[in-house]
Amino acid sequence: MLSYRPGSSLAHRLDPRSKLLVQFGLAVAAVAYPTLPGVVAATAVGLTALAAARLSPLAVLRSYRVVVAVLALAPLVAGVALGPPWFRVEPALRSALYVGRVLPILFVSAAYLVSTPVRETRAAVQRLVPGKPGQLLGVGMALVVRLFPLVLADVREVRDAIRARGGERRPVWVRARLLAVRSLSRTLDRSDRLSLALRARCFAWNPTLPALAFARRDYPVALLGVALALSPLARAFPL
Amino acid sequence: MSQQHESVDLVGDETVKYFTTAVLLAALTAALSQISIPIPGPLPPFSLQPFGMFFAGLLLGPLWGGVALLLYLLVGIAGVPVFSNGNAGLGYVVAGQGTGGFLVGFLVGAVVAGAIAHRSTEPRDLGDISVPVQVGALVAAVAVVYAIGVPWLSMVTGLPLVRAATVMAPYVPLDLVKLAVAVVIVEGGYLASR
Amino acid sequence: MIEVRDLVYRYGDATALDGLSLSIPDGQYCLLVGPNGGGKTTLVRQFNALLTPDSGSVRVDGTDVTADPVTARTRIGMVFQHPRDQFVAATVGADVAFGPENLGLDRGEIDRRVASALAAVDLDGRADARIDALSGGEQARVAIAGALAMEPDYLVLDEPLVGLDWPARQSVLAQLDALAADDTGIVVVTHDLRDLHERADRVVGLSDGRVVLDESPAAALDALSDLGVRDPRC
Repeated sequence: MLSYRPGSSLAHRLDPRSKLLVQFGLAVAAVAYPTLPGVVAATAVGLTALAAARLSPLAVLRSYRVVVAVLALAPLVAGVALGPPWFRVEPALRSALYVGRVLPILFVSAAYLVSTPVRETRAAVQRLVPGKPGQLLGVGMALVVRLFPLVLADVREVRDAIRARGGERRPVWVRARLLAVRSLSRTLDRSDRLSLALRARCFAWNPTLPALAFARRDYPVALLGVALALSPLARAFPL
Repeated sequence: MSQQHESVDLVGDETVKYFTTAVLLAALTAALSQISIPIPGPLPPFSLQPFGMFFAGLLLGPLWGGVALLLYLLVGIAGVPVFSNGNAGLGYVVAGQGTGGFLVGFLVGAVVAGAIAHRSTEPRDLGDISVPVQVGALVAAVAVVYAIGVPWLSMVTGLPLVRAATVMAPYVPLDLVKLAVAVVIVEGGYLASR
Repeated sequence: MIEVRDLVYRYGDATALDGLSLSIPDGQYCLLVGPNGGGKTTLVRQFNALLTPDSGSVRVDGTDVTADPVTARTRIGMVFQHPRDQFVAATVGADVAFGPENLGLDRGEIDRRVASALAAVDLDGRADARIDALSGGEQARVAIAGALAMEPDYLVLDEPLVGLDWPARQSVLAQLDALAADDTGIVVVTHDLRDLHERADRVVGLSDGRVVLDESPAAALDALSDLGVRDPRC
């Protein structure tokens, strides 16, 4: 799976907020225009994003290979008919077009992942969502990132403990119940301890936020994101 | 040397408790998405992912249960490999293999389950909520997941709605088993004791 | 000065603190000992208003801590038993910065405090290290740095040495010595006095929610077995 790698590409130097806008905008535009020109335009944006992050499209396809393989089946499933002629081309092509617009969305998202450390996304969320909700979501994201490996290790330990005591011979629903309940109980114990630690360190609604600054290069990128997000309006109200 | 910090606006004790529970349930949802119980035969592996939604809705109510699942989605969008098979990214949520609607469905499902069970943004003691109401909340959550997931799949892949539903049909019995397991957990009082 | 007066705290029907009174002057190195369930942890969690007493009061320099928890929590730094569960960020610097950020300090002051807290625990220049990649002893020191970044007058540590190997133990003890020499008050909750009794100014024993022992370390050693605490000389 792709993840953040430090670098100095154009994508790395952009503000996470403008990058999020482009991702969101492209997703909206691609869904609104399942047409050949639409897919071509979206692909161009996707490839540009990859170039800005110095990431090869092949590397993206490789990392999303399961996703892509499953998607590739969709046109086949769409074309199969339950009687002669057994396979109809028109719905299969339609589905292929739909699936085709997914690739640029994955490209842009991959460019974001490799060029943006998690703490920047957190800072962006904290600023994009105003007030107390933004503060809680920002801190919450940092905490989930911190705790996910610990909780994953807990759940694996619980699973192995059930297995070690001959859990394999129990029906799947019994195993599922034991795993769910025991993992939950460990998770809630961690929550109690975290809650104390946060309070002891003056967890507040109005902390000093991580620094983020829009540079000149961010404005055209953010503008592109907004334009893409609003593009369905052009379809609803043709000039 | 006394320091003055009059401007510090502490987060209230109750809120901290709901918040850390939401954070930990987001982490648990992420962990359960990576773990599956292998079952014999041609069936897909048995993942415990929906239990994050079940627990969040029942233990935290609509507001904080929603926060838990929203944090799960946001962390995945930020690039942490928390979705099934270690996937991440906004692209995976929006499009992915067409199953992103199920992720969004978990979020809405947690809110719906929480709203049915608690009927208030403030979570009540689960011991005060009757078992049939809790079970109804879980059933509604699963229904919501499919109600969002199947049309989403159809929209992303261009499959007609009925065909998209057919593709997802093999998962229905598994989800019913998960629902039954969750009901047993509720009836056993494992959650009310927390 | 931390002043505890007639403190009562109950968990449901169980009385954890039963009218307890105690004063800890500035700069003292104090050990809180006693059997599990004796009330040690419950007591220290009242010092910074993490728990609110059923009756009685805790005052820090005359101010009731429940009336001004922010001051109590900045003046009294607290390090909990499981360091892994009290970190709020994935990297050392981001975690240590959490407290000062909550105080709304400006970025320059936050950076200064983080650097100075890390220097105080011999982790200079490790701000970008991933916490999960650190050893147990280093994690314990990061937890101490997180508390020190609030620039507290007292540091309260709940079982800080449990689970540490010998070198890690020695390094944590050395950090505490340095802080004590710098006039930071230190309160250590422990059930094991090894390596601690010769450093402390005072040993307070708790049992059934009351103070049953309050002596100099030398005088306290003979009374330890009554408290279920092993004599560190054996």
